[in-house]
Amino acid sequence: MTQVMNGDELLGRWLNTNRGTRGISECTVARDGDGITVSIIGVGEDGPIRWPTVQAIPLANLEEEGGQRTMALLATFDLGFMRAETHVRINKGVFVIVVFVTFWDDSGRANYLNREFFYREP
Amino acid sequence: MSKPQFAQICDLVETERIRDRDIDRGPLVGNWINSNPETESIARLNVFEADAKLQLQAFGVGPQGLSDWGTTVAAVFAAGPASRMGAGFAATFDFGFAEARLQAMIMKGLLVLAEFHLFKDDSKRAHYFLREYYAKTHDLFSQ
Repeated sequence: MTQVMNGDELLGRWLNTNRGTRGISECTVARDGDGITVSIIGVGEDGPIRWPTVQAIPLANLEEEGGQRTMALLATFDLGFMRAETHVRINKGVFVIVVFVTFWDDSGRANYLNREFFYREP
Repeated sequence: MSKPQFAQICDLVETERIRDRDIDRGPLVGNWINSNPETESIARLNVFEADAKLQLQAFGVGPQGLSDWGTTVAAVFAAGPASRMGAGFAATFDFGFAEARLQAMIMKGLLVLAEFHLFKDDSKRAHYFLREYYAKTHDLFSQ
């Protein structure tokens, strides 16, 4: 498993398939030199909330579609009061984000997980 | 009470304090068997509670049969920020030369396990991702 992975299929701007989402509205995956970055925008009260852009860990996706030809990404967002550990991948053309949220503040909220689906910006 | 910070509006909830131990781990606890008998990764998971924590024992497929990866503590995740229903867990097995980060979620009675295998040695092996399905064993239908 030493072949170079091709993550081109993940690059671009992805929009939530659910117009009524109260979570992540969009995600952008971009190349940054030899690396890949992930940017997320959350739905806010008065407009979008831009999460800090992070470097992703690329992984060969052995789940489907021929091993190293596809890629999954691990991306962790530290927002101070919470951490969001995400992984993203494409399944049958749908961009899937799974997020595990851990709260660091004293709000009493439960750590939780969620999954949302995205389509490529036309 | 001041408004909690949030990065997505679904996190703007008011709730009584939910501690880890308040989250129902019942759906997660059990012996989980991989639905794929040909798997080359984790064949079986034993999820149990000990010392008030969720514990995870994994059995990987090795050249001579199952390999006990040992036990590690798993972090419990609910179905939402105001939920007390256990919906998944996350855990890491560190083998020194590599680590396996696991993220599990319950879907329609199945445990869906996302595995992130990260190599830390100089073998130049690529990190890889797997997603497999596990069924909880039970004897409800045995005669």
